[in-house]
Amino acid sequence: MAKTEFDVCVIGTGAGGGVMIDQLTAAGMSVVALERGPALSLAEFDDDELRNPIRDRVFSPNQLETWRPDDQAEAEVGAHSQIAHCVGGTLTHWAAWSWRFRPDEFKVLSTEGPVAGASLADWPIDYDEMEPWYDKAEWDFGVAGDGAGNPFAAPRKRGFPNPVHPERRSAQVFGQGVEASGYTHFPVPMAINSQPYGGRPRCMYGGACRSYGCPVHAKATTFSIHLPRAQATGRLDLRAEAMVFELPVRDGKVTGARYLDAKGEAHEVRARQVVLAAGTMGTPQLLLLSDGLANGSGLVGKNLQFHHHPAALGVFDDDLRTYTGFETHGAFDDLHPSDPKRGFIRGGVVAELNTFTHQPIAFGLLLEPALRGEMASFGASLKDRLRAFPRTLTVAGICEELPMESNRVELDPEVKDRFGLPVVRITKRQHPNDLAMNRWYEKKIMEVVEAAGANRVVPGSRIPGIGITEAPQKGNAHNHGTCRMGDDPSTSVVDRWCRSHEVPNLWIADASTMPTNGGYNPTLTILANAYRVADHFVGEARRASL
Amino acid sequence: MSRTKGPVLSRRELLQRGALYGGGLWLAGQLSFPEAAKAAAESSEPATFGPEDWKAVEAITARILPTDQEPGAKEAGCVNFIDKALAHEEKASLPLYESGLRGLEAASQRAHGAPFAELDAAAQDALLGALEAGRTAGWPADAGDSAVFFETVRVHTVVGFLADPKYGGNRDFAGWKVAGYPGPRHRRGGYRPEQVTGEAPIDPIWED
Repeated sequence: MAKTEFDVCVIGTGAGGGVMIDQLTAAGMSVVALERGPALSLAEFDDDELRNPIRDRVFSPNQLETWRPDDQAEAEVGAHSQIAHCVGGTLTHWAAWSWRFRPDEFKVLSTEGPVAGASLADWPIDYDEMEPWYDKAEWDFGVAGDGAGNPFAAPRKRGFPNPVHPERRSAQVFGQGVEASGYTHFPVPMAINSQPYGGRPRCMYGGACRSYGCPVHAKATTFSIHLPRAQATGRLDLRAEAMVFELPVRDGKVTGARYLDAKGEAHEVRARQVVLAAGTMGTPQLLLLSDGLANGSGLVGKNLQFHHHPAALGVFDDDLRTYTGFETHGAFDDLHPSDPKRGFIRGGVVAELNTFTHQPIAFGLLLEPALRGEMASFGASLKDRLRAFPRTLTVAGICEELPMESNRVELDPEVKDRFGLPVVRITKRQHPNDLAMNRWYEKKIMEVVEAAGANRVVPGSRIPGIGITEAPQKGNAHNHGTCRMGDDPSTSVVDRWCRSHEVPNLWIADASTMPTNGGYNPTLTILANAYRVADHFVGEARRASL
Repeated sequence: MSRTKGPVLSRRELLQRGALYGGGLWLAGQLSFPEAAKAAAESSEPATFGPEDWKAVEAITARILPTDQEPGAKEAGCVNFIDKALAHEEKASLPLYESGLRGLEAASQRAHGAPFAELDAAAQDALLGALEAGRTAGWPADAGDSAVFFETVRVHTVVGFLADPKYGGNRDFAGWKVAGYPGPRHRRGGYRPEQVTGEAPIDPIWED
């Protein structure tokens, strides 16, 4: 008989769940971890482009969601969110960009004041409270970077644990454009080993990194760090293909979780504390499935935020080696600080990246149409455009979106998953501030690509699915905000410790707690926040108050 | 409620997205594991197309990516890739091919009194251009939307040209050579730092 009583039940094994599982087992607690997706092995981490990013059924074989731009539109079925449902979560195939948010990114409401149509809020915590946990995350994940490289970065008490990586040719060329434009070029901090670290080897620079599993564990992930460490304690019971469908409640507390196994058979585990880490989509889905648990504020599922990505392409004479290395090797951050004089507030970092140029199918399907212009879609000119594959530089921003309460996830009234459970329905559109920022950034990015010496510069909004004006984003890899944290129970779902205001033994440790989304990739912030929450959790448990 | 299921998209959506696959900074797909690779490895005999359809699809692919100083879709075996994919992951596109090929033959016979595969390159290009524009004389009303058919074959040809040769196209790495892509490197130890920085030459996998 499988054990059914635990100190803690953690639901979801991605960035936030992984930290909680690791830290709580290390503190001596017994943990059952329930993951809806399968357990993958290193042997499955190949770099076949058709199988991995194009057909996308390695990491998220059963993902199903619906999306609509507003309440009047019909919802469209798909696997919209760029996330992974597997043991280790989306980190299993993440790109490993590892930023600390800037101090003002925790205090957007007080920095900017209220904005019409936006549900801006301050985080209940500030950068100084996060700093030690960012540091811990960087050292656990072996981030490679230059602590003095980015003059616009948040202040740090020490440098990075690993030196910077070799600078890809594409980043050198991009860097020339950045410097010629009067900006500061620097290597993106990456949670990828630049030398052996933590018992894991150096990166082999194979090119296929984002959207792929790392076959040697050079990329830091939950799967390569937190879960093995937790399993070594003997206190982790990790159950894959365990789809939680209900959090039972008795006397105002959750008693554990009920889940379906791969065959659809129901099981129940009991735990004294429950940590939700099913992600910005999965966590509100589960609370809503549990009769609106912890939703006195009415905000469960609301304030969904992505990032938006202004971009540009440049075609050069030489091979830029974009099919080597990992997703990004260089960035500039000069445009990041908020300046209302630009006609919008907030901002984001800008980087060169090989998302569409790591392998040729993505290039042929998404960048070729952008380069096409008025030329024929087939024939000699198509073949010539395919020849631009290794000479094409892509540059994009990771830009902050303003939260809107009407942007949300809820249970789809019609569409069910393979078990008959309602899937997530995403309702999402852009705030006018996002559109103004996107257009302004696209122009600036095109200027930088021009200054880098491109023969031809093309706006990124011509890439199918990227331009947010004509074709609203249906999904993103960066999802935030659907169970925001705050001090006031009427305007937030969880408190500053990411503990439910209403259900005392229910915690949330993922990006759904983020009130705003910053102008950087969110993972290091998810990790740091989870370390912060785990530390508090363990302290409370030691004081015997849990 | 109108909902998109499987790889067949509405014309509006197809043209809006410009591609059968994906959107966003990620390429969301709909299909599963590489069964077509297994089929391609087992046999190069047709799995889906009869001889006439095989010839017609091969002729379309040869105009989409023509042969110049380097091999094109014909030499790369894109028709073989499509044939195997339609038997497996792309099965949902099979009716689209059946009706589209029927429409193409009807239009070709009406305009030239000959099958599409036997037309000269200029006539083939003109007919494909008409398909894409949705203005094909003699296109049967029940043959579906010619633009959707054309874009589907176009995308499949590009994918067959650039996907791993194990799927039945990209024969002798023809597509990767045209694109200047030296091949996947996970199983070959990746690249040396000097190759990443551009200081050392790249050794393509076909030179192993």
